[in-house]
Amino acid sequence: MRRPVPLNALIGGSLIGLLVLTAAVALVWTPYDPLAVNLRARMVPPGAAYPLGTDEFGRDVLSRLMAGAASSTIVSLATVAFAVVAGGTLGLVAGFLRGWTDRALMAVNDALLAFPGILLALGFLVVFGASKWGIVIALGLAYAPSVARVVRGTVLSIREREYVEASRVIGNPEHVTLWRHVAPNCIAPVAVLATSMFGWVLLSESALSFLGLGVPPPAPTWGNMLAGSRPFMESAVWLGIAPGLCIALSLLGINLLGDWLRDRLDPRMAVHA
Amino acid sequence: MSGREFLRTALLAGVALALAGPAAADTLRARLNADIRSTDPGVNRDANTDAVVLHMVEGLVAFREDASVGPLLAESMTVSDDGRTYTFRLREGVRFHNGAALTAEDVAWTWRRYMTPETRWRCLTEFDGRGVTRLDAVETPDPRTVVFRFARASALIPATMARPDCGGAGILHRDSVGADGAWVAPIGTGPFRMGEWRRGQFIELLRFAGYASRAEPRDGFTGGKRAEAERVRFMVIPDQAAAKAALLSGAIDVLTDIANSDLAELKARPDVTVDVAPTMSLSTLLIQTRDPLLSDVRIRRALALSLDLPAIVQAVTEGTGSYNASAIPISSAFHTPPHREGYRRDLATARRLLAEAGYRGQAIKILANRRYSSMFDSAVLIQAMALEAGIRLEIEVLDWATQLDRYTKGEYQLMSFSYSARLDPSLSYEMFSGPKDTQPRKVWENPEALAMLAESMATGDAERRTALFEAMHRKLLADVPLINLYNGAEIAASRTNVSGYRGWPAGHPRLWGVRAN
Amino acid sequence: MLGYLARRLVMTLPTLLLVGVTVFVMMRLVPGDPVLVMLGDTATEADIADMRAALGLDQPLPVQFALWLSRVAVGDLGASITNGQPVFWLILERFEVSASIVLVAVAAAALIAVPLGLVAAWKQNSTADLAIVAGATILVSVPSFWLGLLLLLLFGLKLGWLPVVGFVPFSENFALALSFLVLPIVTLIMIEVGVLTRMSRAAAIEVLRLEYVTHARAKGLPEWRVLLRHVLPNAFAPTWTLIGLILGNLLGGIAVLETVFTLPGLGRLLVDGIFARDYPVVQGCLLFIALIYVIVNLIVDLMYPLFDPRVTAE
Repeated sequence: MRRPVPLNALIGGSLIGLLVLTAAVALVWTPYDPLAVNLRARMVPPGAAYPLGTDEFGRDVLSRLMAGAASSTIVSLATVAFAVVAGGTLGLVAGFLRGWTDRALMAVNDALLAFPGILLALGFLVVFGASKWGIVIALGLAYAPSVARVVRGTVLSIREREYVEASRVIGNPEHVTLWRHVAPNCIAPVAVLATSMFGWVLLSESALSFLGLGVPPPAPTWGNMLAGSRPFMESAVWLGIAPGLCIALSLLGINLLGDWLRDRLDPRMAVHA
Repeated sequence: MSGREFLRTALLAGVALALAGPAAADTLRARLNADIRSTDPGVNRDANTDAVVLHMVEGLVAFREDASVGPLLAESMTVSDDGRTYTFRLREGVRFHNGAALTAEDVAWTWRRYMTPETRWRCLTEFDGRGVTRLDAVETPDPRTVVFRFARASALIPATMARPDCGGAGILHRDSVGADGAWVAPIGTGPFRMGEWRRGQFIELLRFAGYASRAEPRDGFTGGKRAEAERVRFMVIPDQAAAKAALLSGAIDVLTDIANSDLAELKARPDVTVDVAPTMSLSTLLIQTRDPLLSDVRIRRALALSLDLPAIVQAVTEGTGSYNASAIPISSAFHTPPHREGYRRDLATARRLLAEAGYRGQAIKILANRRYSSMFDSAVLIQAMALEAGIRLEIEVLDWATQLDRYTKGEYQLMSFSYSARLDPSLSYEMFSGPKDTQPRKVWENPEALAMLAESMATGDAERRTALFEAMHRKLLADVPLINLYNGAEIAASRTNVSGYRGWPAGHPRLWGVRAN
Repeated sequence: MLGYLARRLVMTLPTLLLVGVTVFVMMRLVPGDPVLVMLGDTATEADIADMRAALGLDQPLPVQFALWLSRVAVGDLGASITNGQPVFWLILERFEVSASIVLVAVAAAALIAVPLGLVAAWKQNSTADLAIVAGATILVSVPSFWLGLLLLLLFGLKLGWLPVVGFVPFSENFALALSFLVLPIVTLIMIEVGVLTRMSRAAAIEVLRLEYVTHARAKGLPEWRVLLRHVLPNAFAPTWTLIGLILGNLLGGIAVLETVFTLPGLGRLLVDGIFARDYPVVQGCLLFIALIYVIVNLIVDLMYPLFDPRVTAE
């Protein structure tokens, strides 16, 4: 039943490709300075001079969207990386050492999992301060427990396999066994999780902006652009439509790509959505 | 029908009406951006609480529109020559919501309660000797006369008794508290009495049929205060965009505290009337003069000169405010011509000052928050304009509680901030002047200025005070401990079926004298 | 059975204690002070000190924590700093709002999503399947608050069919309550339909591959009976677990939707509590949310055998 062109990979790939491309372009060029305030051109509807209009400070929405693509991508990537490293290490250690270490670490982990991620992030964010890196740490910490769970589960299921036993028997130190033989097996499930996490982070970042925290504005992210557009949702619809669509399309791309990745890497995981 | 059932039916009827669209003649619906904290005047309060509670309770004196203090429950107020004895004659025919007549004994009882530390009255510190003065005794020589004896004279005594955050020192019937002294509900003398309070949803007030209104026209918190609507419902709608939507769809009748950015849109709507009233709040840019960089007055001055302040004010306030360099609000009688002097943009001088001070583009952090969008908007514009003079500002957005914490501790370089209305000119200066060692939140600690401030508080001579304030303004412009921007405007919109709503300089919404047809 | 239940509940105690400690420490690490927020810019140093003392915030942190914990142990969550209300009642009142939205939305979403997923799996790779998967994936990709805003803009403002703000509990007037809640519920249904359809489709595909389905077909059972009797119950089991997870997460996590629709729900209470630094409210709410999460998971586990015959058999 193999289709010649996996549609989800095609669409998802192009959407994400577009996102990355936009982000890359925005790093070197945008039509206008995304931060430049122009008090004479406030709330201009989409037109020739400003393809997507301007916001309440007269800043070009298109430029801000492009710059937002860059910052949203960077924040999401950094957050996922942080969550994977932190959660992965925790999961590896817990799963490999077992015993009391495992029980203690997992108790903390379960306590964290019992909060909705967004609320946990909100709490961390107030502690660390709302900055780009504050978001990365807050969301990273909020999502790390999920990674820890998956990694620990994988480790527990393979640590007794023959080749892991063999590595021990030939006298490899524990950390070598851990890194050479156990960790690589976690890559597939973590990759699948990380893909969906990229989407969650994008979503959470905007949700946090909505609740009044988030990447501090002037610097545009899609989330704070969307949140900032709320008071104008009737008078200047374009301010909310554009970033909302960008978030939705990126998430669509991520989800499609994630589906494809799941099918490729681990057909069994497909069941667990 | 039992009372409870009746309440239930009435309530459902109210909701049904709300659904039906425009308000029925007898219910006026307004918005609160957060639930009130209590119904106890000046105790466990915030601005919303004050606004609601002051519909139900009244003090002896109250603020007029021009920020002077006039009698409310009092018919007259006489001050002894030494300024320490205040004698109030009560108006005749004033009744509490429970029908009891107001007597001097009620005033004495209320003030005894306020002065008891356990009550936790917001303004206890002003009257127990730590603040304005010390209240030594409240005497009642006859049922309509109350005599207050203070330890020290002060120009601020009547104004403090009238302060909205003190609950206007509202006079209460003693049944407002239970037998154990715990607060129950306000039984006051105001034009509205307590209806139902559904926490997180609404608080409803009912017209007090037995209200004895003053004869004069409505004037601030005093003057004529007739309730026109049978009930007033303050609906809790935290979100600004949702509140606006509620007004436009007719779910509420009056929307106060509108953001400047919404003004243009609302003005364009045929079904709402917009009311813009200047207030006495002050938006400003605070500067930490003990910061290594900003302790150099040349850099502070350069910052002030780098800004096109009238343009910033125009954009942030959507034209509802004008640039005011002075601490004294434009609408105050003390805002004399010398207070019009401010900073004029001069990029060349700014650059020269920066060069002299050896500024080399070090980043300076400016704190702002998203809860009050005008503070954030000011910061954005200040950042953009300062850059043109070569000053590199970075905006740090905090949540409001964190920003207040930094404000109180003085831990910032620059902060976009807004002071709520101070109705006395001395207080307008006092709010940011004082020694940082004991009051880190203050920005101006010039000893000469502090001496002048102390004198302005002690003297009651208006001419002397005017001269002092003018001298302080000149000193303020030279020292640049803060860069004042504008006095806020209270923007309110009501649906066209509502008549009589008007804002005023103290900013608190008043729903007496307002009618929904 | 009861013993198992008791054991499971006791096992959650360390988790809850940990939640309590974490929340307490985190809230105190947060800069800012409820007293400052309440007093605002007119506060003098004396006012601040007085109020802190009155609230017991001047005590050393370990003392405050011990005091709080000893009260929680007997079921007293304390009173809100901001308005003096008992936290327990505040939570219950707000929980009713969130729970009515979440329960209705998730139930409706499941009723729509499970048959859709089943059909999609049954007709795997057909046009219908593609359409369902595409639709579900698009729904999953739309931010809930954005969708909510668009719906509010369309039905509340442009068409004026539904009220924009307000709330009445279901217990009071069902029709009225529905008119206030229909938009948030529809928003939530759309999002969750996406999630659940994808899940139930994936689960059904795996079940369809299993031998006993082939067996049942071979026995000549009509296709609809195979689907209803054999595939649906088995495919529903993992979906049921997901529903549990969603419920647990949503009860505290719909703060954003509550903000969009200005509903006085639990999420909003918590977020407002965080912004006001209302320590007892935040601590109480998070403890409550964690407890709910644990209980929902427990219920899901207990009911799991009802949906998965394989588990019953063991």
